[in-house]
Amino acid sequence: MAYSKKRNRNIFLIFLLPAILVLFLTTIYPMLYAGYLSFRSYDLAKPFVPRIFVGWSNYKEVLTSSEFFHTLWITLKLMVMTLSVQLVLGVGMGLLVTQRLPGMGIARTALLIPMMISPVIVGLVWLFLYFPELGYLNYFLSFLGINPIAWITSTEWALWAIAIADIWQWTPFIMMGTAAALTNLSPEPYEAAQIDGNSTWDIFTRVTLPQIKPVLISLMFLRAIDAFRIYDIIFVLTKGGPGDATEVLSMFIYRQSFTFWRMGTGAAASFVSLVVIILLIMLFFKSLNHSRRIS
Amino acid sequence: MIKPSSQKTFFVYLCLVIVLIVFMTPIYIIVSSSIKPSPIMFQKPPAFVFSPTWDHYVALFSERPFLKFITNSLIVALGSTAFSLTFGSLAAYALSRIRHKRMNDVAFWILSMRMFPPIAVVVPYYIIFKAAGLLDTPIALIIIYSTANIPLTVWLMKGFFDEVPRSLEEAAALDGHGLLGIFWRVTLPLAAPGLAVSAVFCFIFSWNEFIFALMLTGSQAQTATVAVMSFWSSDAVQWGRIMAGSFVILIPGVIFVLTCQRWLVRGLTLGAIK
Repeated sequence: MAYSKKRNRNIFLIFLLPAILVLFLTTIYPMLYAGYLSFRSYDLAKPFVPRIFVGWSNYKEVLTSSEFFHTLWITLKLMVMTLSVQLVLGVGMGLLVTQRLPGMGIARTALLIPMMISPVIVGLVWLFLYFPELGYLNYFLSFLGINPIAWITSTEWALWAIAIADIWQWTPFIMMGTAAALTNLSPEPYEAAQIDGNSTWDIFTRVTLPQIKPVLISLMFLRAIDAFRIYDIIFVLTKGGPGDATEVLSMFIYRQSFTFWRMGTGAAASFVSLVVIILLIMLFFKSLNHSRRIS
Repeated sequence: MIKPSSQKTFFVYLCLVIVLIVFMTPIYIIVSSSIKPSPIMFQKPPAFVFSPTWDHYVALFSERPFLKFITNSLIVALGSTAFSLTFGSLAAYALSRIRHKRMNDVAFWILSMRMFPPIAVVVPYYIIFKAAGLLDTPIALIIIYSTANIPLTVWLMKGFFDEVPRSLEEAAALDGHGLLGIFWRVTLPLAAPGLAVSAVFCFIFSWNEFIFALMLTGSQAQTATVAVMSFWSSDAVQWGRIMAGSFVILIPGVIFVLTCQRWLVRGLTLGAIK
C-alpha cells in the first residue's frame, strides 16, 4: 500500500514537531528555569544583587516551615470538601436530569452554564452573596432558621465559602459526566434486576454504580488535579485570609514570590507542588487506561 | 425504562426545582444587579420588579476604556485559538496515524502539559517576558494560553481523526494526493466538528483566564477579566459596574452552552468521555 510507507512516517513526525517544540519552549523551559531559581537566592526587589547559588537551602526552608505544611493541609482539606460534595450531589443531579420527563433537556442545559463562567466572575458573584452585613446569602438562610454566618471574615467558615463557590461551579461537571455515562448503559441488567424484585436503591448500588464507576474515577482525578490549580476564586474571596485560614499551595507560592519577592522560595515550593501533581496525573492516566479497557 | 408513577414524577420535579433555584440564583444575580439602581442593590427583601437602569453599563464603557479591554481579550483569545488549532491539529493528525507504541507516551506527555498548576511557572514567565520586553503585550498571553490550548486541541482532534475512515484517505492517496493534500482535502473537512469544538474551548479558556493576565499585563494589554476586578477596592466596591462587566464576559460562555452542549462532555473531559 503506497499510503503507509516509511516516508510518510517522517512527514508525520514533521507534523508533530512544531507542537512539541512550542510546548517544550513554553512549559519545560520555564520549569527548568524555576528549577534553576529554586537553588538561588533571588530577590526581585533587588535586581542587581547577584543570584547566589544557595544549594538546597530554599528547599530546606520550604520543607521545614510549618507554614508550608499548613498550606498543604489546607489544599488537601479543600480538595476533600469540594470533591466529596461534588461527587454525591453531581451523581444525584445526573440521575435527576436523565429522567425521561418533559423539561429535563432545558434544565440540563441551564445547569451547564456555571462551568463556562470565568472563575473570577464566580468569585465576584459569590463575594456579592457573602458580603459582610449586606450579602443576600445570610438573608436567604435566615428563612431556614440559620443565624448569620461570617462567611469570608471568620477562620472557621472562610474555607467553606471558597468550597461552596467551587462546588457551585463544578458539580455540573460530575452531573454531565454521570448523565453521559448513564445514557450509554445497556438496559439488560436493569430488566433482570427488576424481575428479581430489587428495590431502587439496590439497583442503583449494585447495577448502576459499578457500571459508571470507571467514568466517575476519571472525573474525580480531573477535579483533584484542578483542586491544585484553584486560585482565582480564593484571590477574589479571601486572598488566603483571614490570617492563613485559606492559604492553599498556589496562594503560598504567589505570596512568597510576589508579596515577599522571594522568588527562590516560591520556585522551590512550585517544584514540590509539581511533584504532587505529576503523581496525580500518573494515577489519572492509569485510571483512564483502566476505564478504556472496560468500555 | 418503565413509566414513572405520578408520585415519583412529583418528587423528581420538586428536586429539580430546588436544584435549579440554587444553581441559577448566582446567574440571576449577575443579570439583575447589572441593571439595578445602586441604592436598592442590597435591599431586603430583594426587589424582583424595578425600573432597570443602564447607568452601570454606560459607566463601565465611559469611565474606563472597557471596549479596549474587551478588544484585548478578543485579540488574545482569537490569536491563541488560531495558533493552537494550527499546531494542535497537525500534531493530533500525526499522533492518530503513526503506528508506534511510544506514540501513546507522547500523547500523554502533551496532555500532562495542560494539567500543571499555572502558578508554578508564573515566576519564570514573568522573568523571561520581562527580559524579552514582552510584558504587557498580547503576545505574552497568546503564547501562555497556547500551552494550555495546544494539549486540549491535540487530544480532542486525535479523537476526531481516529474516527475518520482510513479507506477514504487511501483512495485519495491512489488519486495521487500527497499527505498534506490528503489532510487538507479529506481528513480535516471530515473532522470539522472537532475543529469547531476545539476552537470554542480554546477561545473560552483564553477569554476567561485571569491570573496570567493579571500578573503579565499592565494598562496596555489588560484583558476584560482583569479590568472587572479593578472596580473592586477595599474602600469602595462598585458592584453595579462589576456585575455589568461580568455579564459582558459571561456572554460567549452562555452562547456556547446553548449552541453546542452536546460537545461539552467531550471537551471538558479532554476526550475521555464521548
